[in-house]
Amino acid sequence: MLKIDNLHVRVDGKDILKGLTLHIGAGEVHAIMGPNGSGKSTLGHVLAGRPGYTVTAGTVEFLGQDIFALATEERAHLGLFLAYQYPVEIPGVSNMEFLKAAVDTMHEKRGEPALDTVSFMKLARETCKRVDLDQAFLKRGVNEGFSGGEKKRNELLQMMMLQPRLAIMDETDSGLDIDALQVVAAGVNSMRSSDRSFVLVTHYQRLLDYIEPDFVHVLAAGRIAKSGDKSLALELEDKGYAWLEDEVA
Amino acid sequence: MPDLMHHILDAASVAAPQWLSERQNAGRRAWAASAMPTRKTEAWKYTSLHRLDADFAVAQPSVASQAELGFEHPALGGSKLVFVDGYLRADLSCLALPEGVELIRFADADAAQARQISQQLGSVADPSGHLFASFSDAALQDGIFLNVAADTVVAEPIHLVWLTSSREVAFTVNQRLLVVLGANSRASLVEQFDSVGSGTAFTNGITELVLEAGAHLLHHRLHLEAGAAMHIGGVHARLGRDSHLESFHLALGSDLKRIDVVVNHAGPGAHSSLNGIYLLRGAEHVDYHTCIEHAVPHCTSDETFRGVIGDSATAVFNGRIHIHPDAQKTRAQLNNRNLLTSAHATINTKPELEIYADDVQCAHGATVAQLDPLMLHYMKTRGIGAEEAQTLLSFGFINEVVNTIRIDALRDFLRPLLARRFASDPTLTRHLA
Amino acid sequence: MSQQQIDRTIGREYAAGFVSDVESDTLAPGLDEDVIRFISAQKDEPEWLLEWRLEAYRGWLQMTSPKWAHVHYPEVDFSAISYYSQPKSMANRPKSLDEVDPELLRTYEKLGIPLHEQAVLAGVAVDIVFDSVSVGTTFRGKLAEAGVIFCAISEAVREYPDLVRKYLGSVVPRKDNYYAALNSAVFSDGSFVYIPKGVRCPMELSTYFRINEANTGQFERTLIIADEGSHVSYLEGCTAPMRDENQLHAAVVELVVLDDAQIKYSTVQNWYPGDAEGRGGIYNFVTKRAVAHRNAKVSWTQVETGSAITWKYPSCILRGDNSVGEFYSVALTNNLQQADTGTKMIHLGKNTTSTIISKGISAGKSSNAYRGLVRMSPNATGARNYTQCDSLLIGDKCAAHTFPYIESRNPSAVIEHEATTSKVSDDQLYLCQQRGLNAEKAVSMIVNGFCKDVFKELPMEFAVEAGKLLEVSLEGSVG
Repeated sequence: MLKIDNLHVRVDGKDILKGLTLHIGAGEVHAIMGPNGSGKSTLGHVLAGRPGYTVTAGTVEFLGQDIFALATEERAHLGLFLAYQYPVEIPGVSNMEFLKAAVDTMHEKRGEPALDTVSFMKLARETCKRVDLDQAFLKRGVNEGFSGGEKKRNELLQMMMLQPRLAIMDETDSGLDIDALQVVAAGVNSMRSSDRSFVLVTHYQRLLDYIEPDFVHVLAAGRIAKSGDKSLALELEDKGYAWLEDEVA
Repeated sequence: MPDLMHHILDAASVAAPQWLSERQNAGRRAWAASAMPTRKTEAWKYTSLHRLDADFAVAQPSVASQAELGFEHPALGGSKLVFVDGYLRADLSCLALPEGVELIRFADADAAQARQISQQLGSVADPSGHLFASFSDAALQDGIFLNVAADTVVAEPIHLVWLTSSREVAFTVNQRLLVVLGANSRASLVEQFDSVGSGTAFTNGITELVLEAGAHLLHHRLHLEAGAAMHIGGVHARLGRDSHLESFHLALGSDLKRIDVVVNHAGPGAHSSLNGIYLLRGAEHVDYHTCIEHAVPHCTSDETFRGVIGDSATAVFNGRIHIHPDAQKTRAQLNNRNLLTSAHATINTKPELEIYADDVQCAHGATVAQLDPLMLHYMKTRGIGAEEAQTLLSFGFINEVVNTIRIDALRDFLRPLLARRFASDPTLTRHLA
Repeated sequence: MSQQQIDRTIGREYAAGFVSDVESDTLAPGLDEDVIRFISAQKDEPEWLLEWRLEAYRGWLQMTSPKWAHVHYPEVDFSAISYYSQPKSMANRPKSLDEVDPELLRTYEKLGIPLHEQAVLAGVAVDIVFDSVSVGTTFRGKLAEAGVIFCAISEAVREYPDLVRKYLGSVVPRKDNYYAALNSAVFSDGSFVYIPKGVRCPMELSTYFRINEANTGQFERTLIIADEGSHVSYLEGCTAPMRDENQLHAAVVELVVLDDAQIKYSTVQNWYPGDAEGRGGIYNFVTKRAVAHRNAKVSWTQVETGSAITWKYPSCILRGDNSVGEFYSVALTNNLQQADTGTKMIHLGKNTTSTIISKGISAGKSSNAYRGLVRMSPNATGARNYTQCDSLLIGDKCAAHTFPYIESRNPSAVIEHEATTSKVSDDQLYLCQQRGLNAEKAVSMIVNGFCKDVFKELPMEFAVEAGKLLEVSLEGSVG
């Protein structure tokens, strides 16, 4: 599904990722953990094609295609989705208009028939329920004035509506109370399937109590410092990250 | 005297009712005493009047049918008066006024109404301070008087449409409206200006709003004129104690538009909110000058104007807040934001604060920027193409202001009309309706 | 605060308001070409400079005084002003500070500016301008070692004619505006600075301006050239005696900031503001402007507490790509003072950035206006401006105004302007008083806090002085 080899990324003149290699198969759930500043969020942003993130070396293939040859929206059309840690607010554009524009484009690109307005509305309302977001949020500006938790649920709502092949969840758990965390986890778990993969970027082991990962990786100093299974996360919880950073250095 | 419009003043006939002639004479004196504005005249620093330097004729009545005129307008459900080239077209109008509401031509005023008009007319729009208010007075022959009696509630919006047609010759229209809302009355008013065809027309439009104590007005002034249909004019309001004015403004660009909006808070507890949008393309020119006067204590005002300026168009925004001595406990704020969408577009904006009282809270802000690259990126990560994302965001930028309109039918009329301004290809606006 | 307290503090005198008993040669009032020839001859000026002055004068005669500023004052009678005054003892041009009239030196000691090098604030070189002439410059030897030229402009005309001729009027053209034209015609003295390529000036440079003689105008001219890659920090201070008549100060400051160079220019302006009834005080009509070339940076910091009328807009022409302009200002008006001050940021180059932080404090019956221009030219791709203008009102008879002009002709330029107006809140006062501060001290603290974004831009010793100056200037304003 996703093959990242020797990826180097520079932001604001600083090297953030320094030779990251990671392969993700279809249907797998990978957790990426690591201390602050290790480059966890950079990975998501560079895959999504955010301006200002420069790839200085390395390759990324997504479903067999060179991701860097594609525009941001083309990556999305292929099925790449990034759930943001800090989603941007877009006042004046209603959540509904925004979702409809995104869903219609996706259907069009996949050669699927467009949803008529009634079925779209129905789907949007149902999905709202699944992520425990009041339907009134559909009429508001995108993320406008949403609380932290509401923004995260709105990201989840978009993911469910867009049905991606690979979803990168960038610290979706941070700032969530336990109820909200369970909503997010239930949403992700309900979407797990043999042809959809997830990357959970997180600082804490807590999320992994609810979404069981197939692999856990530790990112330190811009590369994968250690990989393992779920038990690695528990070990990190216990020992912190410092020992790993020493190991890498 | 400004070297403009001599024909028009010469022709402004003695046909005006006798009781108006005094105002006409005063207007002529003020006009004669005024200097032609130049770039050094602060109020006209960024707007040239050279396009008015042509032979303009007095408009003649038009007999074109509605189909021939073919203009769009919202169905608001209440009374509607349609004027073509300044002349009331009864065949296109409908009146359904509740008790306590008068809507008449000055020419048809009875003695009591005439007395009321001559008392109020020109008491709000100061001809000595506004060149084109003096021109309006000088050329004054007729006008419309909307009078709402105290405690009257007018449920349906009153809709006034001023249309200029397309003619061989350049012509002028002198539009004048006086609105008096009696104490504790409520009404909503839509003034719509539009043009048909590509002829040259100049409308000098002055509206005066008098809100007596506790009155409540939803006011809308839409300038949809295009091309060589030019407009200079303004809305001048006086707010009595505890009255409430919400005023929405829209200007699509044309060769020349200059709109002054002056709100004088004259009674304690009065509140005004002004919301406006200007959208320009081609070589269009729009100049909004707003002035919020706080003359007495305990008033509040809130103002938001946004503009999107494309191609080689030029927009001007001047937003003044003036707190008089003793106008304590005033709260006033103004915000102006602009998007330039082309390398040749120009914005000149000047938010001004002039404050002579200390126990006040005032703030203003102005920005000029492009669409936010992070918002564009976010939309693209959801698969939305660059062009559609730009359309959605540009529309979203002004949609926040459109959303302040409380009349659903008007909002629904404007949204697609405005959305179309942002995209050449209709598929780009398919998600905006 | 009691009436008694108010009376006591209002009665406080302007501390720099004494007159020095120095004999002076002062030209009879009035202005014509002969006066200009006289001034030029006094300074042994070359022919080109006399012609340059006369051309400015002829231009000035055609101009009218500006009316657009938000200030009100009777027409200045230019025939009642003397355009040249120098202490008699300076006629023979003392060669060093040791030869300067001790009475003159005492003037500066009284103002807290000792001129003997050993006593001077460590690391600050000072040039002193008394009425129309430069009295002396300290630390010249040390500066010369670094190749830095710091001297009176009249001396620079003689010693460095090529530099002066090349740059004089290059930033503020002779006929730029009414008062700049007048200055160009009659400027008497002022400071000249040249920092050679790549040199970081080893110490702060400072000029101290003093008007002493009655009925004289002061028309100093400052020219600072920072050659490629050089750095300099420059400070100016100003005072004048208390006199019932208004006196005119019409200066011009030109800064040339070549590629990769930086100039930081700080002013603490404490000209005599007039008395509580508005009698006397300096009319401070000043043109200050900088041209910044590629990657250059200009920073204007001003603390304006003096003058009856201030009309002053230190500006930056950001000509070179990536150049940076900054304007940090505190303007305080009390009693009947009027200030109309601000800046212009003219963005011509790509990726130019500017920051404007303006803090206006109005007290008494004074009027304080910020007037600014931010212009993005069609070529200023990627340019940015951020402006924050705050006004603080103390008392219900004062006025505060904000007139920002914003003109953009480049779609990629980003401009943000914000302004607020407020008074010292009762809550703030209450909190301070509850902590045992009296009202005046509380206001002074609040004002200092209000100004801290600007004060932190000042060199350390000036920041302290500026804070004290505000405190003194505010006395009597809290009711």
